[in-house]
Formats: sequence, structure tokens, C-alpha cells
Amino acid sequence: MEKALREELISLFRGKLSGTMEMYLETCARCGICTEACHAYASMPLPKYTPAYRAEVVRRIYKKYFKWQGKTFPRIGECKVLDESAIDELKEAAYSCTGCRRCMVYCPFGIDTQQIMSIAKLLLVGAHAEPELLSLLADVSISKGESMDDLKEGFLEGVKSLESEVVEKWRQEAGRTPIPTEVVGADLLYVALAGAHSIIPAAAIFNAAGENWTLSFFEAVNFGAFVGDPSKTKIIMDRIVNEAKRLKVKEVCICECGTAFRVMSQLSGKQPFKVSSITRVHARYIKEGRIKVDKKKLSVPVTYHDPCQIARNAGVIDEPRYILSQLTDNFVEMSPEPKYNWCCGGGGGLVAMGEETLDFRMKSSRVKADQVRNTGAQVLATACENCHTQLSNINDHYKLGMNVQFLSSLIADALIR
Amino acid sequence: MKTIYFLVLVPMVYLAFAVFLAGVIFQLLKVIKRPAFKPTLAIHPKRNPAFLWAILDALLLPTVWRHKRTLWFFLMAFHISFLMVFLGHLELITEMSWLQVIGHEIFMGQGFLGLIMSLALLYFFFRRFASPTKELSVPEDYLLLMLLFLTVVFGSEMDWARRWYDYGEMSVQEYRAYLSSIFMFKPSIAAVSTSGHSFMLVLHVFFANLFLMFFPFSHLMHSIFGFALNKIRRG
Repeated sequence: MEKALREELISLFRGKLSGTMEMYLETCARCGICTEACHAYASMPLPKYTPAYRAEVVRRIYKKYFKWQGKTFPRIGECKVLDESAIDELKEAAYSCTGCRRCMVYCPFGIDTQQIMSIAKLLLVGAHAEPELLSLLADVSISKGESMDDLKEGFLEGVKSLESEVVEKWRQEAGRTPIPTEVVGADLLYVALAGAHSIIPAAAIFNAAGENWTLSFFEAVNFGAFVGDPSKTKIIMDRIVNEAKRLKVKEVCICECGTAFRVMSQLSGKQPFKVSSITRVHARYIKEGRIKVDKKKLSVPVTYHDPCQIARNAGVIDEPRYILSQLTDNFVEMSPEPKYNWCCGGGGGLVAMGEETLDFRMKSSRVKADQVRNTGAQVLATACENCHTQLSNINDHYKLGMNVQFLSSLIADALIR
Repeated sequence: MKTIYFLVLVPMVYLAFAVFLAGVIFQLLKVIKRPAFKPTLAIHPKRNPAFLWAILDALLLPTVWRHKRTLWFFLMAFHISFLMVFLGHLELITEMSWLQVIGHEIFMGQGFLGLIMSLALLYFFFRRFASPTKELSVPEDYLLLMLLFLTVVFGSEMDWARRWYDYGEMSVQEYRAYLSSIFMFKPSIAAVSTSGHSFMLVLHVFFANLFLMFFPFSHLMHSIFGFALNKIRRG
């Protein structure tokens, strides 16, 4: 590795060193309590899949360049020179971690491996060694945002074509647009994913609730966060923030996408609108009597997978259970405690990388498949696009015979007047 | 030999404390000076008051209790014994009536605190030879445990000799004479350098000095950062 590149990477590393990060890097006693926390290690017991090992890959570089030890007694801490082999190690560590933060629940100090992996991902971006597909997706997302005026017409045509399917689910008063866009002063801005499945059920429920809503021009998913590039993450996030400000909405509702919700709710800072997950909004509608659902629609056993970024990492835990209690009398818990729920194995950009990661994703999710199977449920609901894709893959791979559903779809299908 | 005794028991002690204090302050300043990370890093569901739960997390290690119970017993035994031994060392500097609210001999534990610590350290050491902890461990981890073990064993031996073998030459008075002279910056090793067990004291202090100097630059900073990190997790 050339000296200039190494110095640039060290500078990127330095930029990630907040006070909290310093403590994360200084504190690990390598006690190994976190080992069983990781679904990848639990499914494939190789030391490289333990959270502490992954973090140590970054920590060894930290010790080399930011600690006295690295300059005096590098062997004591097995300090690592930032070279090509270090980049390979960083890549394996970062992209075998889904950022689920289950290990943080186990660690006696609460060390956040996802935060430490954010350093690994940034160094990979700096070394142009990140997964190309993720960078490409982030770039496409940004360029789409930049040329929104040119794409608006096509977007509106696409939205128009979905309206009949929305009306099929919920016929509202004549004269009202099934999928409103550009409504200045709307109460709620809904940020969906690119895909009818993310828009149709949500639109039907908003209409059933009589919500004064508008659909965002931008898709919620933040590929910048997946690839670990803070500047791209911010660009993708800011355009939604700016749209919400321009439309003067009171609430930004993020679709069933864990990363999108976590980025928007935790990284956007103080804003003149509140950020909600769609699951919270739906629970609110039911509680307030704004929508009614038919409990008879779901008679088979139903279980729910808590998406890590929405539940453990953002606190949306009671709401999906409340919704399911209104949808069925046959709900089966997946994990005795939601914070201990196994990660599906698809987060951190792994699902977005598609076939490239499929083999690892399936091998590393054996414990998840066992957990799902043990519920004895026939319907597997979740509230995250990544989880849904991964669980569908698991369902096929492990022949679970489940019906994998979005929670919002279950609600939309159960709407009654 | 006297020169070696003197070097270990006086200048090296001052050096060790200086390095320890400067190192800890340096590490704290390093953390404080870095920019704050504003977004929450909490895990849900949250429980209030968060700071009380964080204190419990840091002191009682509930996550270890839940997932590695044997390790928890050794960790608790070690840390409680360490705390009591630390208090015992304070009482070796001078008489501290506030510590004698519940009357006890110096040291507490009838010699068993050192034994518990020694066994716990052996457990911590040898568990690192089993996978996957083996692959996680770096030489620093073994070195720290060895330093602590040697410090504890040579320190405990002096306690054991008095209690279990009626070895009466070095008593609390002699240790107090030495330690108080160090803390008053009027160092004198006369009281502790002529006994047959003086070499035990010298080895105990030598390894303790190395340990103290290593402390701020090792993961032992967990003893200082542990609460803050648990508070961050608790939100």
C-alpha cells in the first residue's frame, strides 16, 4: 500500500474517533462473552465470526497508529500495519457483521461492534475496496435525487398506475386521490421504498385512517449507510429532510425498512417534524379507532421477527405486538425477550448485495431458521424490507414452508369499515 | 542487594505511580477531547433510571451472569477480593478509623482473599487457552494476568506467612513504617529490608509497579470506562 493512501486512511480513521469510540476501542478485555451472541458464530462456530474478533481487526490498526503501544511494543497487542492484508481482514470483518448489535446486549461493557465496524467500512471506502454494488447503489440513489425534476414525470406515472390496486384494498370517498403527492401542509410524509409492495398497502391504510398524507419522491433506503460512507448517508438522508421541510409536514413516516428508520430517526438531528416508523403509525391508528381490522382473517399461528434496527436498536417493540393482538388470537412469540431475538442475517448491506452474499447469508442464519421453525407458526410477519427478503430466502433454503409477510400487508388485508 | 531493594521499593514506586496517574489522566483527556458522538447508541427496551441500571451493570455484571455463569463467579470473587485488598493496602499506609467502622484485622479475609484472587487469576489465564477466547487473546492479555498473578502471589505470601505459619518478623507496623514514609515523601526501607521475607515484598512491589505502569495503556481502563459505556448502552 502506498504511503499516501495509508496516511489518508489513517486520517479517515481519526475522523471516526469520537470519545465514545475511543472508549469502545480501549475497553474490550477480549473475555469472549459476546461470542455466542453472533448468529454467524452460532451458525458457523469459527472465531473470525465472533464480535470481539471482528472488533479486534479494527482495534489492532488503532493500536498501531493511535496508541503508544503501537510505536513501542507492537507485538504485545498484535498491532497491525494498515496494508493490503489488513484491508482484506477489514472487508471480511465488516461484511460478515450485519450490525444487529445483539453482541452489545451480551458485552459487560456494552461495546458496540456496529460502531467499530463503521470504521472498517469507512476504511474500505477510502481504499476503494468496498463492495462495488453497494457503492453503485448509493451513487445511483444520489444521482436519482439530483435529477428528480427530470424523473418526476415518470415517478408520477408509476404512482398513478398503482392507484387502482390501492382502491381495491380501500375504496375511499370520490374525488380523493388514492396516492397523493406534493401536498404542501400534509400532516404526514410517507417515505416508501421503490416497489409497489411498499406503497399499495401503506396507501390503503393511510386512506382508511383518513390521514392527510403525501408520498415522498424519494425512496427511504439509505445505501450510504449500508456501505458506511457518512457523506453519502447524509446526502441521501438530507433530501428527505429538505422535502419534509418544503412540504411543511408534521411527521415523516418511514416505511418498513430498518436502516432507513434508524438513520432518519437517530441521525437527522432536531427537526420541525417528528420521525415515526410505519409500524408505530399503524398501531396508533388502531388504538385511536381510525382503522378497524378483522381478527378472523388470520386463523393460523403467526409469529413476528423483530427487525434489529427497528426493535433492539430503535425501540419499536410493543407496537407490532399490539397490532398482531388485533389481527389474530394465534400469535406466537419468537424469542422470550425481543432484545435477544436472533438477527435474520441480512442486515448491514448483505441482502442488498444479493447473490454475492447468498451462500454466507444462508449458512450464517441456521440459528434463525431453527428459531423460526420452533415457533410452529405458519405466517412469519416482519416490518423490514431486508429482513423480509432474507427470511424469504431462509424460508426457501431451509424449506420452512412459512408464509413470509410484511406486517403492513397483513393490516391492509384485514381492513374493515 | 540493598541497592536493588531500594530501587524497587522507592524510586520505582514513585515512577510507577507517576506513570499510572499521568497515563490515566492522559487517557481520560483523550476521550474528553474527542468530539462527542451525538446520536443515541442505546439498546431497547430501556429501563429507567438509566444511570442506576448502568451502575448495576458495571458492578454486578448481569450479562456475564446470564451467559457465562462460571466466569461470573470468578469475576465477582476476584473483583470483590481486589476491592477488599485495596482497602487493606490503604490501612497499611496509616490507621484509618473510618475503615474500622466494622472492626477487622489488617488484612481482612484471614489470608483467603489472596487465595481467591490467585485461583481466579489462574482461571482467567487458562481459559484463554480454549477456543474461541484463545483466538481473541493477544500477548498483552496473558502478560497482564501474569503480572497480576505474580503481584498477588508474592503479596499474599506475606499475609499467609503471618497468618498460617506464625512468621512474625514483618508485621503491620513494619509495612506501615515503609508505606507511610513513601507517602510522606520521606522514603525509608529500613523497617522492611532486613527480614527473611523482604525479598517477597520487593518482588510484590516490583510486579505491582510494572502492573501500575501498564494499567493506563491496557484494556484495564475498563475499570474506568465501564460505567460510562454501560450508561451509553442504557441510554
